[in-house]
Amino acid sequence: MISAETHSPAAPAAVRPDSDSGPGRCVLLFMLGSGMLWLVLSAILALISSIQVHSPEFLADCAFLTHGRAQALAETAFVYGWIGNCGLALALWILCRLAGEPLRASKWAGTGAIFWNLGAAIGLAGIAFGGMTAIPMLELPRFVQPLLLASYAAVALAGVAAWTGRRREVMFASHWYAVGALFLFPWLFSVAQVMLLWFPVRGVLQAVVAGWFAQGLWTLWIAPLALAGAYYVVPRVAGMVLPAYDTAALGFWCLILLGGWTGGRHLIGGPAPAWIATVAIGAAVVLLFHYIVVFANLRPGFAGGATSLRFISFGVAAYVLGGLVDAITALRGVAVLTQFTHFDEAQRQFALHGAATMMLFGTLYFALPRIAGRSWASRGLVRGHFALYALGVLLLAVCLGTAGCIQGDALNDPKAAFADIAIMTRGWLLGATAAQILLLAADIFLAVNFFTTLASAPEGGDREGAP
Amino acid sequence: MKSGALLFLGVAAAFGLSFAGIVIGSNAQLGRQAPFYDDSEGASFPARLPGSAAAGQLAYRDLGCASCHTQQVRRAGFGSDVDRGWGDRQSVARDYIYQPYVQLGWSRTGPDLTNIAGRKPSAPDAGDLMRLLYGGQGGMPAYSFLFEDRKIVGQVSDDALKLTGRLEPPPGRQIVPTDRARELVDYLLSLNTTYDYPEAHPAPAVHPAAEAHPAPASGGEAKK
Repeated sequence: MISAETHSPAAPAAVRPDSDSGPGRCVLLFMLGSGMLWLVLSAILALISSIQVHSPEFLADCAFLTHGRAQALAETAFVYGWIGNCGLALALWILCRLAGEPLRASKWAGTGAIFWNLGAAIGLAGIAFGGMTAIPMLELPRFVQPLLLASYAAVALAGVAAWTGRRREVMFASHWYAVGALFLFPWLFSVAQVMLLWFPVRGVLQAVVAGWFAQGLWTLWIAPLALAGAYYVVPRVAGMVLPAYDTAALGFWCLILLGGWTGGRHLIGGPAPAWIATVAIGAAVVLLFHYIVVFANLRPGFAGGATSLRFISFGVAAYVLGGLVDAITALRGVAVLTQFTHFDEAQRQFALHGAATMMLFGTLYFALPRIAGRSWASRGLVRGHFALYALGVLLLAVCLGTAGCIQGDALNDPKAAFADIAIMTRGWLLGATAAQILLLAADIFLAVNFFTTLASAPEGGDREGAP
Repeated sequence: MKSGALLFLGVAAAFGLSFAGIVIGSNAQLGRQAPFYDDSEGASFPARLPGSAAAGQLAYRDLGCASCHTQQVRRAGFGSDVDRGWGDRQSVARDYIYQPYVQLGWSRTGPDLTNIAGRKPSAPDAGDLMRLLYGGQGGMPAYSFLFEDRKIVGQVSDDALKLTGRLEPPPGRQIVPTDRARELVDYLLSLNTTYDYPEAHPAPAVHPAAEAHPAPASGGEAKK
């Protein structure tokens, strides 16, 4: 059964475009293209927000780009614009490929995708002009959230159709992750909306629900979307059965079961009930099993070769490393140093950019030639994209992480003034800004390559350029 | 794993479990928490937010103040929160029951604000906060868009900021806070957790060295 999926070595020359060249393809390309634009926009906003951390006067007069808002805008554009478009489109594509069918319900998906982007754009405008909710990962103003939920449902319908309409009964790891992500997002999103914005729960419970949501959005939506791509691409490009594939199901259930419980580690020492933090610490440690399984399964990617594997392997390594650091910093003795510092931000950025986005990039490099029927326009831009993005992610993590350690150490010394902490960390924060510039440049490389590829004439049989 | 129905039900159950455990569980524990009535003072705590402070919380929220400021004091011995004079005691869940949108925060690029209006020995007053918002300080940006630069017609407005040095407006001009700035400052001045709840003093710690002798509040950060 496994062999049906994994024994289909996809040598670059054997790439065939999807049989579907109709509306389904347009929908996927629309989602990927808009995701690309959101990614560039979020990188610009992240750069602004990163400059403001060390130079607070930067754009301070600009009410709609004051630091709190710039940060929220960058995060929202990234999560709802980039992941919400590109991650979702790739998950739909994978489900269709596994089903052996073209995208069904593509009118629903197309309408949904248009309104999703409209909703995200209105949401960003809402944040900029005073509707922000200040809940991590859920900064979008309340009024736009039902629209996003409805349009997500329309897009996801295509995924459900592909899943239920699959020709073979058998299901693969990429199925589980894609389907899980598809269903889990609306549940998380609607619960968080109702309990935090429409009928807010009382007092500190808001922080508990917010922590549960933000962690859930990462472990139950973003990470599974990325992993679905990795589990789909690695066996195809490496041309082999994934090692230790029997454990993949355990790894999946471990993530789905425990992922939602780890959010409380950000509440350590605070006014929320202590058991929430304790449970989160336990869950974060047990979750290490999931990371081990993912690493064991996706190991063949590290043998390298194809472009998509390079991206995915970087992503997998970052994912596993990030999980390990999450578990370590969840421990109270470590959290007392890293809590509330730039170290937290380093972890978040490393997960979002280094792990999830890198895996999505890899999947995209594999998928686009098959969706669009064109090979990537420029190999140089692909190489530049990888080098800049990898360097940017590492630099960002190291700089923010070090700044966080210095800051955490100083915060624990009651005599260290905030002005001094700012001076001590300034050099590292400047490094983080440099990293954001690299990320922005890399994103522009990708966007340029993507759009020139689409603009180029569709190719016939020759697909040598496909990674 | 072959069955689609099994996958769906399993995912739903796993999700439901974390929802039930964390959200419903903590709600069952704290959802009905009531204010604490103190006989000797003849009042109950915490107090509800005055209207302008509640409006100010919305300003605090949509400007994203929480991206640099927390509103939670951790227990003495865990971090330097109490030693820095951010509060005399750890924050407890009851402190927040009347906050419409709780802003615990996640980053301390700036100081904690849980008890900014109740700090000892001296808490900032409205004028201090207005000047801080208008001019910024250290790592904090200036929020000058919350203020109006007006021409003085007749006499100087009662609300005009008393500014000196680089912030001083040119002759004939004055800096007047907008309603939003006023509400925001009202909100900050409502952040006072000096009342001591019984649950804020849990059983003695296991490590007496760390917890038995909380250092006296230094107040060193109060004016930062």
